[in-house]
Amino acid sequence: MYKMENTINIGIDLGTTNSAIAKFVKGDVIVFNNPLDYGRSTLPSVVYYKKDRIVVGNKAKEYLERDPKNVVGLFKRKMGTSESFQIKSINESKTPVDLSAQVLKELKTFVNTGDTLDSVVITIPASFDSIQSNATKEAGKEAGFKQVVLLQEPIAASLAYANMKKSKELTDGNWLVYDLGGGTFDVALVRIKDGEMKVVDHEGDNFLGGSDFDRLIVEKLIIPKISEQYTFEDLENQMKSATGKYNAKYYSLLNQAEEAKIRLSAVSSAEIIVERIEDEEGNDVDMEITITKSEFNDLIKESIDGTIEMIKTILTRNSLTSNDVQFNLMVGGSTFIPFVRQRVEEVLQIPANCEIDPTTAVAIGAAYYAATKQKEVSKDKTEKKQSTISIKASYNKASKETDELFAARIKGNTEGLFYKIVRQDGGFDSGLKELSERINEDLPLVENTYNFFTLTVYDGQNNVIETDIEPIGINSGFGISGQPLPEDICLEFDDYDNPGHTRLGLIFERNSVLPTKRTMTVTINKPILKNNESDRLWINVYEGPQTSLPEANKLIGVIEISGKQVSRDIAKGSDLEITIMISESRDVTVSGYLNMSDQEFKNVFNPKVRETNITLLKDQVTDLSSQLDEEIELATEKEDYETAGALSKVKKEMEAVVDEAESLTDDDVTDKRYQLEDKKRKIAQKIDSATKNKRLQKATDYYYETKAACEELIENSGNDHERKTFSDIISQESAFMATKSPLKIQEKSDEFHSIIGQIRWRTPDFLKGIFGSLLNDQAKMNDQSQAKSLIDAGNFAIESQNWDRLREINFGLLDLLPRGSKEDITTKIGFGL
Amino acid sequence: MRETNFKQYKPYFELLDQLFEIERKLENIEESNSISRNLNKMKDIFETTLFSSSTSSEIGLTYHNPLGEAYNETRLDLEASIAGNSTENLVIKEVIKPIIRQKSGGSTLIARKGVVIVESKN
Repeated sequence: MYKMENTINIGIDLGTTNSAIAKFVKGDVIVFNNPLDYGRSTLPSVVYYKKDRIVVGNKAKEYLERDPKNVVGLFKRKMGTSESFQIKSINESKTPVDLSAQVLKELKTFVNTGDTLDSVVITIPASFDSIQSNATKEAGKEAGFKQVVLLQEPIAASLAYANMKKSKELTDGNWLVYDLGGGTFDVALVRIKDGEMKVVDHEGDNFLGGSDFDRLIVEKLIIPKISEQYTFEDLENQMKSATGKYNAKYYSLLNQAEEAKIRLSAVSSAEIIVERIEDEEGNDVDMEITITKSEFNDLIKESIDGTIEMIKTILTRNSLTSNDVQFNLMVGGSTFIPFVRQRVEEVLQIPANCEIDPTTAVAIGAAYYAATKQKEVSKDKTEKKQSTISIKASYNKASKETDELFAARIKGNTEGLFYKIVRQDGGFDSGLKELSERINEDLPLVENTYNFFTLTVYDGQNNVIETDIEPIGINSGFGISGQPLPEDICLEFDDYDNPGHTRLGLIFERNSVLPTKRTMTVTINKPILKNNESDRLWINVYEGPQTSLPEANKLIGVIEISGKQVSRDIAKGSDLEITIMISESRDVTVSGYLNMSDQEFKNVFNPKVRETNITLLKDQVTDLSSQLDEEIELATEKEDYETAGALSKVKKEMEAVVDEAESLTDDDVTDKRYQLEDKKRKIAQKIDSATKNKRLQKATDYYYETKAACEELIENSGNDHERKTFSDIISQESAFMATKSPLKIQEKSDEFHSIIGQIRWRTPDFLKGIFGSLLNDQAKMNDQSQAKSLIDAGNFAIESQNWDRLREINFGLLDLLPRGSKEDITTKIGFGL
Repeated sequence: MRETNFKQYKPYFELLDQLFEIERKLENIEESNSISRNLNKMKDIFETTLFSSSTSSEIGLTYHNPLGEAYNETRLDLEASIAGNSTENLVIKEVIKPIIRQKSGGSTLIARKGVVIVESKN
């Protein structure tokens, strides 16, 4: 029915307080989002003129009351009059048409579908006469639209409803469109006859809406309650007057009131907390004021009854009774308030129809209408907006300031052109500024991140003019001296997959920019008893590739926490919070915080002053030596003579180091420990490279093995989520395989494993199998009577095929197993991976 | 510019608002139980652990208290109410809700605007 090609499709709700733009696409309507105020699709119809820029929308609205000489809102009420607004900052006067055109131009920037907007439908109130209607058309032309079709707002809302119902043919009859927005109220009687809709009558109040309700909450409920409990002289005036002592607090309360109002649509009471204000006797106000739904309803009852009176007037004037009206279509944000719906329905006995989104209904209806209207603009006249503008930008690409000056020289004819700079995180918008040969703008930066800005050039009608400028990128906080890390920084962990060994966990990746900081919490895997010196935790920070053995990397920071230092016994399973910070000058600050004793151990390591802990060094040498023996044995066993030969060469050096280490006293003050540390590291690196292939092979084999197992399980019983996780891993396969890092590959195998676990633990056979093996361990269990009752319950669960229950029982039984019967783990470091 | 929809994060925003409130209240009391450590830990969970997974690491939410910062009409990271008579040299006088940013990789997005009261410092 709709011809996509040659219909207008774009509908605009040019509202008194808020505007919106929507587009008809393939049978549906999309409402464009406000690109500068995400989550919202509306634009406040407010325009703010500053000396060098024009700001439309939310930001302008904020200044509306405070800077009335430069900010204009509600100008729609003046459409078609000869009245104009004198703008102080630019010393010019602007007509309601000019201002509306600004809003329309701003709406153009919402459209992200690349449409050229030549033809649009714009809605107007039912009350608009032909002069006002023509003024609206003129505003459209001024905004660059070549064809403007007008549509009455109540009809637009009705169309939105009709299309939502998918029954375009509404039955002949009457209905009301009740439009209560943020600041205005309109009601219209709509009649449909032989498929043709017509506004028969209308009424309205230009000064009634949601913001009045917020005000009522503050003035009639909150202020009296504060005054009751605390000493204030004329609190209301001190709040409401711009020169008043508590004016700032007034706005804070209005904000809270609005939030409470919204909450009251869903719940029966809402709290407003009043604090951070002192009364006249110096007491801090600290109150929690509860507002109930019924209090709120009483507050707005008078206003709502006023709107009902208007409807009654309309009905009487048209000799209708409530029975003649099919329904009352609710439009405008304030009709979200349940009381509004109820009250109107109750008094008038006309069903309130709340089926459409009250904030966007008018724009949506306009778009549906636009889809039925032919474009009358001939296409051939599309002026190519070829770029003749060339921009040469200059700015610091890295900055430590909170803002950075951006300057540019423009080549080409800048006359009648504007530009705008926005930050890509959505936190900054320069507003529309006139383009000239030279432009300057202070760009505010978010600290410690890359800030990207885009500069867009527009013509006088906000059509984008293409230019050659690239996105503006400024690195804040860590530019200039912020150097990258030359090597990975890792922490040593007990290797739970590899009993007796430790492994490295990545803290900061190579090329991370300094300064950097990271905090992590680990679980301690052994108790640290007070005064027991041999109980120790190690926080060992290494520099060097994360894939290599800990001993092969350079130890750059170490904290040792022994039983002698703790203020109480630290239980296994309690938390250790580790923070590692590296400054720009590469000072490493390491701290460990024990949750249980509330103790912090902290040390700063300077890269120039080497710290070598002798106890640790000796331990490492011993470990390394036994590891070397182990590897030689393994390689020989596997007849890998190449590796065995390489390792045997290292053996000699190793022996020498072991001897030296043994002769080193704990309080040795010479450089010997450093030399030894160096030698040890070199040996470890050699072992590392000689055995790397072996570890890689092992990890790769294991990876393919688990992958195959996982794939099979998924095919049989995987859910969507598991399938997705699986295919995500596969899609990265070539990338992590290319790293040739056994650890990285192991990590992915682990991810497969957790999928396998998830699936298995809901598979009856597996659950039964686990249960069976737990039965064999019954004698070992910690609490025999509990074990027995769980086992009985388990047998019953199997009988009744209650697999969820069996799973729980298995978990319960596993918990009863003595700790020791779980696999032994390394507890050298005190926490692991 | 942005198409990210932060609606599903709303409960997290509410939690962060509470953390912000606690942090603010802590500033005014002296306590020996290092409550701020627990608080910082929770902030850290939001920033680094809560939303990271194997496929997308380094996504996190942080909040920023803009109290005392300058304000003007180009700041889209805030919703402001202007108190007093003047609109020149505005500074943030009261923070009702902090700015919540989403970090992902090296860049950030405004996930939720801060709500503030501003007043001229003149």
